[in-house]
Amino acid sequence: MSFLQARGVVRAYGRTPALRGVTLDVAEGEILAVTGPSGCGKSTLLHCLAGILRPDAGQVTWRGERIDEWSESARSRLRRTEFGVLFQFGQLVAELTAAENVALPLLLAGTGRREARTAALTWLERLGVAEVADAPPGEMSGGQQQRCALARALVTEPRVLFADEPTGALDTLTGEQVLTQLVRLAREQRTTVVLVTHEPRIAAYADREVTLRDGTVDRSGLGLDAPLPGGHR
Amino acid sequence: MNSDAVSTQHVLLGLLARGPRHGYELKRAHDERLPRARPLAFGQVYATLARLERDGLVVPAGQAREGGPDRTSYALTGEGRAALDRWLATVEPPMPYVASTLFAKVVVALMVADVERARGYLIAQRRAHTERLRELTAVKTAPAAGLDDVIAADFAIAHLDADLRWLHTTLERVADWHREVHS
Amino acid sequence: MTPGTLFRLARAGTRADTARVALTALSAALATLAGLAALTVLAIPTPPATDGNSVRWSLQYTNGLLREPGLRGGLAFALVLLVVPVLGLAGQCARLGAPARDRRLAALRLAGATPHQVTRIAAAETGLASLLGTVGGLAVFLAGRRLLHRPGPDGRLPLPTDVHPAPPAVLAVALGLPLLAAVVTAVLLRRVTTTPFGMVRRARTRAPWPWPGLLILVGLALFAAFRPVGLWYERRHAEPPPWLLPTLLILGALAAMVGVIAGTGWLSHAAGRLLHRYGRRPAALLAARRLTTDPWAGSRTFAALLAALIFGAGAAGIRADFLATIELNHRTGAGMAGSDSFYLGAMDLVDLAVAVSVAIAGGGLLVAVVEGIVTRRRAYAALVATGVPRATIGRSLLWQSLAPAVPAIGLALAVGYLLVRGVFPAPAGGGYPQEVCDAGERLCGDPATRARYTRTEWVPEVTVPPHVPWEQLAWFAAAGLAAVLLTVGVGLLFLRASTTVEELRTT
Repeated sequence: MSFLQARGVVRAYGRTPALRGVTLDVAEGEILAVTGPSGCGKSTLLHCLAGILRPDAGQVTWRGERIDEWSESARSRLRRTEFGVLFQFGQLVAELTAAENVALPLLLAGTGRREARTAALTWLERLGVAEVADAPPGEMSGGQQQRCALARALVTEPRVLFADEPTGALDTLTGEQVLTQLVRLAREQRTTVVLVTHEPRIAAYADREVTLRDGTVDRSGLGLDAPLPGGHR
Repeated sequence: MNSDAVSTQHVLLGLLARGPRHGYELKRAHDERLPRARPLAFGQVYATLARLERDGLVVPAGQAREGGPDRTSYALTGEGRAALDRWLATVEPPMPYVASTLFAKVVVALMVADVERARGYLIAQRRAHTERLRELTAVKTAPAAGLDDVIAADFAIAHLDADLRWLHTTLERVADWHREVHS
Repeated sequence: MTPGTLFRLARAGTRADTARVALTALSAALATLAGLAALTVLAIPTPPATDGNSVRWSLQYTNGLLREPGLRGGLAFALVLLVVPVLGLAGQCARLGAPARDRRLAALRLAGATPHQVTRIAAAETGLASLLGTVGGLAVFLAGRRLLHRPGPDGRLPLPTDVHPAPPAVLAVALGLPLLAAVVTAVLLRRVTTTPFGMVRRARTRAPWPWPGLLILVGLALFAAFRPVGLWYERRHAEPPPWLLPTLLILGALAAMVGVIAGTGWLSHAAGRLLHRYGRRPAALLAARRLTTDPWAGSRTFAALLAALIFGAGAAGIRADFLATIELNHRTGAGMAGSDSFYLGAMDLVDLAVAVSVAIAGGGLLVAVVEGIVTRRRAYAALVATGVPRATIGRSLLWQSLAPAVPAIGLALAVGYLLVRGVFPAPAGGGYPQEVCDAGERLCGDPATRARYTRTEWVPEVTVPPHVPWEQLAWFAAAGLAAVLLTVGVGLLFLRASTTVEELRTT
């Protein structure tokens, strides 16, 4: 049975097409980079694969089931149990402490407060940010926030981790440290990773690379798009 | 005279600055100090020493015969020391050594071949670069990676990344460039 | 900075800014209308006492509230009371689109504007919008005066359209309101102008002190002092200075109101702490942290509503006192039956004013709830993307509103009622002899026969403690809660739009 796949996925924002029929297979346990220039639809593809967006046409299947046909609440449950999501920035709840942010998915799953906190602390420890456990995001550095977000994405031990430009807001060294941790933890737990990035250096962390161009998978070999000189954004 | 030869001359001048040595000693010291550089051939050492002697930068300082062939040791002249100081004080123009072959190949490909062939070469080269980038990144993320590995990988990754950016931009520009060259 | 540049920069904004300017102008216009109406009522001259009009009523009006000089002050007060929730609404509107404006002002700071200049730009925006509103309100007022000047067949007027409020007072309202709005804006902007990077970081805040409780006690004490102070002068056969007793009431009401509103901050924090300790679900945790992080949000949001409820509870207390007095008159046979229904009618008008206030305050509440959601849309969108159900976020919003609102509404109603109880003693009467003649109109009316049929009865001393108007207070509480629930409900409609994945794309 296939693990996670997209079949002819089409999605538009208003009248602007973002995806024009993307077919893609994600194998269990692999780290897949989705690259391409800005506006090629790579974030939209990630949102469709993760069940955040419903495609206008085409299918998204997870272990043989068409999740694009599932209800919002069913996809919500899938996202907080089997999937983990990591964005560029701004995903932590400003009012909650680091530990509470990390514990949130567990609490939603019905885990007790004490048990959830213990698990959250373990993950913060593992990512080297245990010292900010009781601080709100406003008191943390960008790297600490992103590690905390990574801990939140991994605390439910998801099958797939979706990361959308996870180091886009970080400096080079911090970004590489966070990515190194991400890759090591994913391999340790056999978590599949879908990594969206426009930087070849970041894409090199993956086992395999798929390039999008104008809303379709680029198979010309021209794909592998490097960014403009000067790096991120 | 290429830049490689220039730097060999100055490296030898630098090694002689610590006292007179003969050719064999110079070769050994060179390979020891610059471990990742291409090893120096004996012929190259003697040829360079002869050129330095001709220019008055070094002088023969004595002969030693220790159960083998003649060994002439050389010493730095005042002029040689001045030349070494000048070299050390000069800022190197930032020239990418690795990319030079790459660059030349692309230009030549555009001159003698058609656009498609040039693109084909660029794409293949970029794939090779990407493969190497991924290998080196894997070295870095391996749980057992030590600081030495990470620093060495970082150095290579930074250069590969620069090449990749250049390859990418060039691919985008190839069509225009080709038209310009053939007009 | 030239006035032209100031005007240009004050006008540069987005649609949210336009909406804020329009709402600010509208609130200013409403406040102007209420203020001018109050001034007009106060401008009605009290005629000199004549034989036919010993009580000095202004007989040219059909409405008793306008005729009786003693009631006009109360009417004007009720009209000014309407300004309170309107100003609350204006305050909420000032927050509308505030993050965008804060960013714009921060950008101006980065471009080299001094904090002083930025404050002036924002204050100019609010001031100009309010001036627009007051001028509009003035125009509507003048037009309304002309249109509503409809004397009845007997020449009497339904409204005081024959008098002008004093021009200086009108000018004070028309210019004072914009000035006040500009000053308030300048004060609210202190936080933004201190840093050119805007407010992006939220650090831990200290727990609020329970000092508002002290203010409430001071307010209650001032009201309770009203009668003893009057008696103190009476016993010395002296008149208190004319400013003393009104000042007691005004200061007391202000202290109690500020106390209740500021106390909501403390209540929010306490509710947040309790929720954090005992809440099990993530919704409760989210709400708890929001409450403890920004406890003053509740004060700002509920200010107008709580002010209206304090007045409502006070009115309920006065009505209860009237009812007790009527009851007393029934038992002792004193008083005039005709005026009872009139006073109760006047109280109905006050209740109407309170209801209108609650409705306007509800509008401000809605603006605050929607603004809170829109400000946090990115974090909410990220939560939804990671699989947090929208229902959980909705429940957290409900918790966050109700947890401080329920105790705050209770506090406001209790304080409002207790203030009035402090002034009015339980009506007491009797304890004196009374001549009773029950032989009919003819015999009693004739002085010759009257004495024969008259006997003296002892009227027993009666105290009628007013009933606590539970029913009415419950209605007010229900109305306040309904306003909160309704606004949260409408706010949830915005939640869906604010948590679409598109919000994640805006960086």
